[in-house]
Amino acid sequence: MKKYFALLVLFVLVGYNCLLAQTIQVSGTITSTEDGTPIPGVSVLVKGTTIGTATDIDGKYTLAVPQTSTVLVFTFVGMKTQEVVIAGRTIINVVMEFDTQELEEIVVVGYGTQIKSKLTGNIAKVDGEDLEYKPVPSIELALQGKAAGVFIESVTGKVTSSTRVRIRGASSLSASNEPLYVLDGVPLSLEARNLHGGDNNPLASLNFNDIESVEILKDASAAAIYGSRATNGVILITTKRGKSGDTRLNFNYQMGFSQPSNLREFLNAEEFIDYFRHAAERGDLYRDQLQGNPAGTSVYWRNHAEGRFKRYSGWAVILEDPDDPDSRYLGSQVDTDWQKLAFRNNAGVINADLSASGGTDKLKYFASGGYTKQDGIAVANGFERISGRLNIDNEINKVIDIGLSMSLSHTDINQINADNAFANPIQLVALSPITPVRDLDGILYSEPTTSYYNGLRHVEYATRKMNEIRSVANGYLNFKLIEGLNWRNELGYDIYNLKENNRYGELTETGEGVGGYGFSNYAQTQNILGKSYFNFLRNFGDIGVSAVLGSEIQYTLLDNTWLEGQGFPMDELRTLASAGELIGGTQTITEYSFLSYFTRVNLDYKAKYLLSLSNRIDGSSRFGVNNRYGMFPSASAGWVISKEEFLADNKIISFLKIRTSYGLTGNAAIGNFSHLGLYTTNNYNSVAGLIPSRIPNPDLGWESTAQFDVGIDFGFLNNRFNGEIDFYMKETTDLLMDVPVPGTSGYSIQTRNVGSMENKGVEFVLNTNNLVGEFKWNTNFNIAYNKNKVTEIAGQTIIDPGSSRYMNVVILNEPLGVFYGAEYAGVDPDNGNALWYINQKDDDGNVIDSKTTTSNFSEANFVILGNPNPPIIGAITNSFQFFGFDLSFTFQGITGNKTQLAGDSFMGANANWYDNQLRSQLNSWKEPGDITDIPEARLGYVNGNQGRNSRYIEDGSYLKLRSLILGYELPKSITKKIGIERLRVYIIGQNLYTWTKFSGWDPEVSSDFVVGNIISGIDFYSPPQPRTITFGINMGL
Amino acid sequence: MKINKILLIFTAILFTTMACDDYLDLEPSQDISEDLALDTDKNVKSVLIGAYSIFDNPELYGGNILTWSELLGGDDEISWEGTYTGPREIFNKQINAGNEEVRWQWLSAYRTINIVNNVLSALAVVNEVDRDRVEGEALFLRSLMYFDLARYFGLPYEAGQTNAQLAVPLVLKPTRGITGESKVFRNTVEQVYSRVIDDLTIAAVKLPAINSVYATSGAAKALLARVYLQKGDYQAARDLADEVIGSATYTLRPNYAQVFNNDTKSTEDIFITEITNQDRWSAMTEFWSIPMYGGRSGDIVILEGHLSLYDPIDERLALFFTNAGRIFSGKWNNQYGVINIIRLAEMYLIRAEGNFRLSQEVGATPTEDINTLRERAGFGSNYFSSVTLDDILLERRLELAHEGHKIHDVKRLKQNVGPRLYNAPELVFPIPFREIEANENLIQNDGYN
Repeated sequence: MKKYFALLVLFVLVGYNCLLAQTIQVSGTITSTEDGTPIPGVSVLVKGTTIGTATDIDGKYTLAVPQTSTVLVFTFVGMKTQEVVIAGRTIINVVMEFDTQELEEIVVVGYGTQIKSKLTGNIAKVDGEDLEYKPVPSIELALQGKAAGVFIESVTGKVTSSTRVRIRGASSLSASNEPLYVLDGVPLSLEARNLHGGDNNPLASLNFNDIESVEILKDASAAAIYGSRATNGVILITTKRGKSGDTRLNFNYQMGFSQPSNLREFLNAEEFIDYFRHAAERGDLYRDQLQGNPAGTSVYWRNHAEGRFKRYSGWAVILEDPDDPDSRYLGSQVDTDWQKLAFRNNAGVINADLSASGGTDKLKYFASGGYTKQDGIAVANGFERISGRLNIDNEINKVIDIGLSMSLSHTDINQINADNAFANPIQLVALSPITPVRDLDGILYSEPTTSYYNGLRHVEYATRKMNEIRSVANGYLNFKLIEGLNWRNELGYDIYNLKENNRYGELTETGEGVGGYGFSNYAQTQNILGKSYFNFLRNFGDIGVSAVLGSEIQYTLLDNTWLEGQGFPMDELRTLASAGELIGGTQTITEYSFLSYFTRVNLDYKAKYLLSLSNRIDGSSRFGVNNRYGMFPSASAGWVISKEEFLADNKIISFLKIRTSYGLTGNAAIGNFSHLGLYTTNNYNSVAGLIPSRIPNPDLGWESTAQFDVGIDFGFLNNRFNGEIDFYMKETTDLLMDVPVPGTSGYSIQTRNVGSMENKGVEFVLNTNNLVGEFKWNTNFNIAYNKNKVTEIAGQTIIDPGSSRYMNVVILNEPLGVFYGAEYAGVDPDNGNALWYINQKDDDGNVIDSKTTTSNFSEANFVILGNPNPPIIGAITNSFQFFGFDLSFTFQGITGNKTQLAGDSFMGANANWYDNQLRSQLNSWKEPGDITDIPEARLGYVNGNQGRNSRYIEDGSYLKLRSLILGYELPKSITKKIGIERLRVYIIGQNLYTWTKFSGWDPEVSSDFVVGNIISGIDFYSPPQPRTITFGINMGL
Repeated sequence: MKINKILLIFTAILFTTMACDDYLDLEPSQDISEDLALDTDKNVKSVLIGAYSIFDNPELYGGNILTWSELLGGDDEISWEGTYTGPREIFNKQINAGNEEVRWQWLSAYRTINIVNNVLSALAVVNEVDRDRVEGEALFLRSLMYFDLARYFGLPYEAGQTNAQLAVPLVLKPTRGITGESKVFRNTVEQVYSRVIDDLTIAAVKLPAINSVYATSGAAKALLARVYLQKGDYQAARDLADEVIGSATYTLRPNYAQVFNNDTKSTEDIFITEITNQDRWSAMTEFWSIPMYGGRSGDIVILEGHLSLYDPIDERLALFFTNAGRIFSGKWNNQYGVINIIRLAEMYLIRAEGNFRLSQEVGATPTEDINTLRERAGFGSNYFSSVTLDDILLERRLELAHEGHKIHDVKRLKQNVGPRLYNAPELVFPIPFREIEANENLIQNDGYN
C-alpha cells in the first residue's frame, strides 16, 4: 500500500507542479438538499484528472483548477454524484441530493459483504437507525414489521418473554423453528434454561442501539453458506464500528411508561352473586333431571353456592334478611377488581445510551454503554439491563489488520410464573370479586377465602430474581496476502450465564407447609468458535470475481447446577444457607460441536450477468454415526436487465433485475444426543436407579430443506419507487419426529427423520419516496403470503398431543398446528344445552354430514377448526420529514389465523365453577326460546365449556399501530451556539392501538408454558402486549 | 516483516490443529449407553431400582392409580372439586379417550413393565446370591402393573366364566427396537390374570421375607390374595391371607391413626411406596389433602354420604378433618413419606370374607377377624357377637376407605355406581387415543370412539 500511496502522492505533486502556472482558484460550499446543512468531506475532483480536494468541516472547498478543465465532479457516499460545468465561474456552490438508489448499498452476507445490486439471493436489510431507541426489551421486537415474510411475535406481554420468529413459515415439527442469529460473526446460543416462569428471551441481553444493520438471509442462496443451521433463515447482526476522525459522542435518554394494551370485562360483586345464584338454581334443576327426581328436589348446588359465598366473603359482613326471600349477600363493602390488581397501569420505562466513536486512519473504535429498565405490565415483572461494547479495528501494517468486537451485559429480571400457574398474576381474574384482598390483619387472603391461590402472595412474599451475564466477543486477524486476497482468522466466544435465586415465603403456596422454600439455579452456556477463511475480490476486465473458502469449528457446552431447600427459620433469610433441609440438587452437562467447510464463488460479467455458487459441509456431534457429515450446496443467478442497452436510457425503469436461486439447507437443532440409545438415572427411595430413556437411531441426521426462489428487484423513476417481488418454494424433508410408538413397548416415542413439510409463498416490498424536497414523505410497504403444509408424518394422518385443553395438532396436508376439536353449534333454544355438530365422517375421514347436531359432546367428531399460523403478514411504515420535524408510524398486521381462548373455558364457562366470569356470560340461556350463544349456566356441570371446542376459537387477525415516532431536531444554527452538534427530542409510542375482532386480551399470543412448534396461538391467562409511550432526547456532540 | 511471517505460521498451525474429526465424538454426561446398562451385576440392580422409580410416579403408585379407583367408584361419598379436567372426567364417568391421566397410567405402567423385562433378560449377570430376589422383585412389579391394567382397561373378571373379554397386551420381552412386532394385540382378562398368578406364585417363592421397602414374599402373597379375591376364588385368597397373617411378620398398629402419614414403612405395612423429598411428591397428598400439608386445593372432598356410614365413636371417623367447612381424608397429609399399598388389615378382611363365604374358620372366625379390626378402631373387644357378609363388606369399606379399593370392590361385588351397573362401559378406562393411533391392532373398549 505504501508504495501505491507514494506513487499517488508523487503523481499528484508532479501534476500540480506542471499545471501551476495555468490554474484558476475555484471555491464554494456544498450543502445538502435534506436540511441545507453543509457537508464535510465531499470529494471535489477536476474531471479527467487526479486534481482534487475535499470539503472542510463547514462544507467549504478551494481548488486550483487548470484553465483547460471544464467540469468538476462532486462525490460523497450516499449522495448523488454531480458533474458541474465550470463555465468560467470561481465560486461554485453545490446542493447535493441523497442518492435514493438503495440498490447500490452494501449488504452483509455470510462471511463477507456484497453490493446489493449484484446480489442473487434474497436478503432483507434493516438499518440500525430503524431499530434505535424502540422501547422494547429485545431486538426481534424492534424488527417487527421491518422485513417481508418475517413473522415475529412475543408469546406473551411479559417483559423479556420469549419470542417466535418465523422466516418464510415454520419448517420443523420437533427441531427448532427459530432462525440462526449471528452477532458480528458469532452464532449466538439461544438455549434458555431458566426454571421459573416461561422461557426467558436470551436475546434481551443484547443492546440493539449498538447495531449498524441487521441482514435477514431468507433464501437458499443467501443462507446455505450456514449449512445445517440455515433452514429457518439467518439473522446477521452487525454492530457499529468506528470511523476515523474526531470523536463523536451520541447521548440518548428516554423515559416513559407502559400499560396493558387491553383489558377484559369481568363480573362485579353484585353480578357475581346474582349470576352464581342463578347458576346454582339451574345446577340443582339439572341434578334433579340427572337423578330422575321431580324438579326442585335438589338444593345441593344452592347450598353449595351459599356456602361458597360465605367462604369467599372473608371478613366482609354479610347481611342476610331471613324474612326476605330475595335477600342477597351484601358483600357490598367489597367489590374487588382483581384484574386491576394483576396489572400495572404506569410501569416505568427508562433508557439511557452513550456512545463514542472515532480514531485515526489506523486505529478506529466504537464504544458504548447502555442502561435500560422496563417494568412489566404484570405485577412483579421487570427487566433491567446494563451493557457495554467496545469495537476496535487496527491496521498494524500494510499486511495485517487486527480487531475486536466485544460486548458485556448484565440483565436483571424479576420473573413471574408461567401462564398456567395460580401464582401467575393474570390468574387473579379467576378470584371472586366478593373477596377482600386482605384480612383484617393486613395479610393477603388466600385459600380457603379466595377461590384459588391468591397470586399476590407471590408478589409480596416471594422474590424471584434472575440475572444474566453475557459476553459475546470476536477477535480477528486478517492478512492481506496479495491484491484482493485476504486471509481472515477469527476466534469468538459467547458466554452466557444465567442465575436464578428464588425464595418463597411461608405464606406462598410454594413455601406453605414446608417452612418456606427456595431454589437456586445456575446455567452456563459457553460457545467457542474458530474460523479461518480466504476472501478474494478482484475484477478481471469485465469479469468481477469474489470468492470465499474456509473452515469453522464450534463447540458449545451447557452446564447446569441446581439446588433447592426448605424449612427456613424466617422469610427474611434469603439464601439456601438458611434452609433447614436441602431437598434436592443436581448438575447436568450437555455439549455439541460442529466442524464445517464452506466456499462461495460469485462471478459477474459487467455487473450485468450474475452467478453465485456456494457449498458447505457440516459435521456435527448431533448426527448419528451413519450420517455424520452433510453437504449443503446452492446456486443462484441474476440478470440486471436495466443494464442492457435497450433499457439503458429508459426514463421510467431505472433498475430491473431478475434473479433465481436453488439450494439445500439443514436444521441441526435436533437435540444433542438424540441418536444414541440411552439409560438415564432416576431415583427411588433416594437410591439412584437406571431407566431406559431413548431408543437408539444411528441414522439420525439433520432436517433438510430444498428451497427455490425467483425474484425481481425493480426501481422506477430514478428509483423513487423501488421494491422486490419474490416467489419461493421450500420443501423440507427428513423432518425429525418423535414418532409415537406403541406405549406397550415401554417407550412413547422414537426420534426419526421421517416427516416432510412445505412452505410456498410470495413476498412483496415497495419503497416509495412520495414527496421529496422540503417536505419529505417516504413509504415502506411489505406484505407476504405463506402457505404451510405438512406433507408427511411418518405414515400417520394425525399427530394429536392429546391435550384436553389445547387443540393444536399436526394433520397431513394441513398447516402445522391446526386446531382440531369439536365444532360448537350454539345453544339449543329449547333447553339451554350446548350443541355440537356431529360431523359424521366416512372411512376416509371426510365429513359427510356437517349439519346434524347433538348435545352429547362425545358424539361430536373432531374437525379442523382453524390455523394458528397467519398466512398473510404485512406492515406499512410512513415517514415524514419537514422543517426539522420527523414523523414515522408503522402499522403491522396479520390475518387468516385463528387464536384459541383456552382460559375462557374457565372464565367464559357460563358459571360451570366458581371462577369469576366474563361479563359476556350474563347473556346465558335462561328461558325456552332464548336465542344466545352462551349455554345455560349450571353450576357444577359442564355445559359447553369442554376444552376442545370451537366456542373458544376466534379470528386472530389484527392490525396494530406498532410504533409511532414524532421527533424534532433543533436547527444546527441554534445547537451550534450551545456547542452541540445535534439535538433531537422525540416521543415514541409502541403498540398504541390494536384493531381486532378477537375478544381476549391480545391476539398476539402463544401462551408461554405450552408454546412450541405445534402449539401456538393459545391465550391462557396471558398478559397482553404493553402499550408503551416514552419521551426522549438525543444529543450528538 | 518478520512479525508477519511468525503470525502467518502461528495462525496456520492453530487453525489446522483445531479442525480435527474426533472433535465430533461427544458422549453424554448424565446418561449411559444401552449396552453398558445391562452388563454388570451392579447396573442390572440399578435398572431394577429404575423400575421402582417409575412405579412411584404420580400416575402409578405415587398415588393416582389408587385415586382413580376412588373417583371412578365415587358417587355420593366423595366429590372432585379440583380444576384438573382429567380427574374430573374420571369422577363424572365421562372419560375421553384422550384423557391425559389415563394415557399417563398406560404409558408409565408399560414403561415399568419394559424396565422389568430388561432386568429379567439380564438375570444371568446378576450375582447368584441375589438372583432370586432380583427376579422376584421384577416379577412382582410386573404383576402389580398387569393386575391394575387388567382391572382398569378390561371389563370385570366374571367368576366361573371364560373371561374372553379383552384386557391389555401381555408384553413379556424387553424392547430393543420398534418393529412390526411392537404392534401387539390385547390379551384376554383370563390370560392376564393367569399370567399374574403364575408370576406372583414364583415371586412369592423367590422373594425374601424382609427386603427394606422393596417387594417381599409377604407382599407377593398378599397381592396374590388380592388377585384371587378379585377373581372370586375365595379359598385361594383366604389361604394366602391366612398365610400372610400367620407369618407373624406384620402386626396391626395399636391405633388407626398410626397406620397413616408415616415417614417409613410401619409394622402393619406389607407393601408401600416410599416417597422421599429427593425424588417425587405424593399424588395422594396432592389431591386428597390441603395446601397446608402440600396438597393442591383440597381437590377431593369427603361427603356426608360416606361419613354417615361410621359409628360416631369410630376412631376411623375421627381421622377425617375439616378445613374451611369442607371435610378431607386424614390419611394422606404426609407428602414425603409412605403411601400404603397393601397392609395387614386387608388380609384380615380377605380372610374373614373368604371364610364367611366358604363357611369355614381357617385361622380365625370371620367374627374374630372383624372384631380385631373393630377393637383397633376404638370399639372395645368383641364388638360383634356374630357377623353377616354385609358387616364384613361394610368393615372393608370403612377400614380401607380412600386407599384405592373402591371401584375394584364395586366390580367384584357387582354393585352399582349411581345408575351405572358394575360392568357399565363408563366404568372401564378407554384405551388411550394415542395408543390406538400408534397401534391399529388395538381394539377400543365399548362406549369410546
